[in-house]
Amino acid sequence: MKLAHLFLAPIVVLVLMPAAFAQNNNPPDAAKSATSAPGTSAALSHDLSGMWMPYSVHMDGIDEKLRPPLTAWGQARFDASAPLVGPRAVAGKENNPALHCEPEAVPKSLVLPNPFEIVEASGRVFMFFEQYHLWRTIWADGRPLPKDPDITFLGYSVGKWEGDTFVVDTIGMNDKPWVDSYGNPRSEQMHLTERYRRLDHDTLEMQIIMDDPKAYTKPWVSPPQKFKLEPNWEIAEFFCIVDEENNYGDAVRKPAGVAPK
Amino acid sequence: MEVKEIQEGQDVRDKNIRRHRRWGDFSVPLLPQFLLLPVFLFSILFFSSKLHAQTTQPSVAPAPSHDLGGVWMPFPDKKENGEPVISGIEEKTRPPLTPWGQARFDAAIPFLGPRVQPGKENNPSLRCEPESVPKSLILPNPFEIVQIPGRIFMFFEEFHLWRTIWTDGRPLPINPDPSYLGYSVGRWQGDTFIVETIGFNDKPWVDAYGNPRSEQMHLTERYRRIDHDTLELRIVMDDPKAYTKTWESSPRLFKFEPGWEIGEYFCVVDEEVDYAGRVRKPAGGDVTAPEK
Repeated sequence: MKLAHLFLAPIVVLVLMPAAFAQNNNPPDAAKSATSAPGTSAALSHDLSGMWMPYSVHMDGIDEKLRPPLTAWGQARFDASAPLVGPRAVAGKENNPALHCEPEAVPKSLVLPNPFEIVEASGRVFMFFEQYHLWRTIWADGRPLPKDPDITFLGYSVGKWEGDTFVVDTIGMNDKPWVDSYGNPRSEQMHLTERYRRLDHDTLEMQIIMDDPKAYTKPWVSPPQKFKLEPNWEIAEFFCIVDEENNYGDAVRKPAGVAPK
Repeated sequence: MEVKEIQEGQDVRDKNIRRHRRWGDFSVPLLPQFLLLPVFLFSILFFSSKLHAQTTQPSVAPAPSHDLGGVWMPFPDKKENGEPVISGIEEKTRPPLTPWGQARFDAAIPFLGPRVQPGKENNPSLRCEPESVPKSLILPNPFEIVQIPGRIFMFFEEFHLWRTIWTDGRPLPINPDPSYLGYSVGRWQGDTFIVETIGFNDKPWVDAYGNPRSEQMHLTERYRRIDHDTLELRIVMDDPKAYTKTWESSPRLFKFEPGWEIGEYFCVVDEEVDYAGRVRKPAGGDVTAPEK
């Protein structure tokens, strides 16, 4: 068998050499030109990699006026959650599982005042969130969503390009974390969609769509969120440490517990 | 869970929580399975003369050059008598501790090994504090290495930890802030990939026995891909504040697992506390003592 491989190897190399010199199939990186602007006909870049810092985070919690109505199940969960901030905050009663360092997962980690980094490699898109040192994998090799996924904090994510938008679909999430700081719930039926567009070299736009029929009577579409490229930043280490969370809660959060209007 | 199921250094929950999947796994229908055995036996007979002519071992492809990428599962460590090796550095092989190191060691109460005190264990990982390196390198769970230009990522299944190793030629930083993971740079030296890390804090233990680390630790990892499917790792700990001499591990071997995906395995404090109460404390008596 080894002899056979030796014989075939040069033939295989010669056949594949032209392919080896071909680049990937992505369109040329038009967005790197300074003149490319959102909404123009130039193709947006298919490269999302880089450190991205949100311009502003005003969606700490989903305003009840904008959020779809809760189902009975969702309402029970919402009523049981005691947030740290927002109109329902009661000092000393907060029970957000993130306060004892349970993972927040998505979509919560997407709307934090901390950066995340996107790295593309090996048919995957990785996201590294500075807050609580979280990472996730988005499988971008063409595979479909699994039919019977394990139920986990992060779920199972696949992503693909639709024109100039990278669309991420995630299912298989458990019902433990809140989707925001106000205590809005998620169930195992949630199908989360994220839509990313690199508007220009330094700007990423993201939109979140939550479709969770067990918790909400309708899907919820977020307003677009913009992120700025920070080329010289490195993700800083920021672990969640339970003792530190408890100390900070006692020293800072509880005295400040009622959020300003 | 019966106490006797707990293996040294191994968390029994691994069987339940770990999610190693082969993407694209399918179950072979029963009828063709009946044919597989005769085909298999025939192949053995047909090729046995050819195999015998080469070597007595199955031939494994050579290591790709400067490529550590993949999911790596530790070979179970076994001592010569078949007993599994615990993920702790035995006092006989560990360098002597300094007074600072001894004080730390004395204050550490592990839930494994000869110094167990059931109910009193205080390993910070029981409250889900990050274990970091080198501890995460000697766990019975897999890790994945992903290489991109200028960086190598390591993803550890246990507690969903990730780290960056900078391979773009930058030197170690001068006077870095202390952190759990430190700051790592790596470079190739022939067929060995050498990672150096400094800038550690002194919070995690370096092993399950409570051996300490200080902010002065300089950790070196030496990776060598022996063949396509085998990775060898040697760990060198140089921590003059805690130990009077440098410690070098014996080589640890890892098996390449194509098709595996790292499963989700977060540390969740309530689950840790519950597990400690139900399983670890009843088992905490000297189940896994190494030979004295």
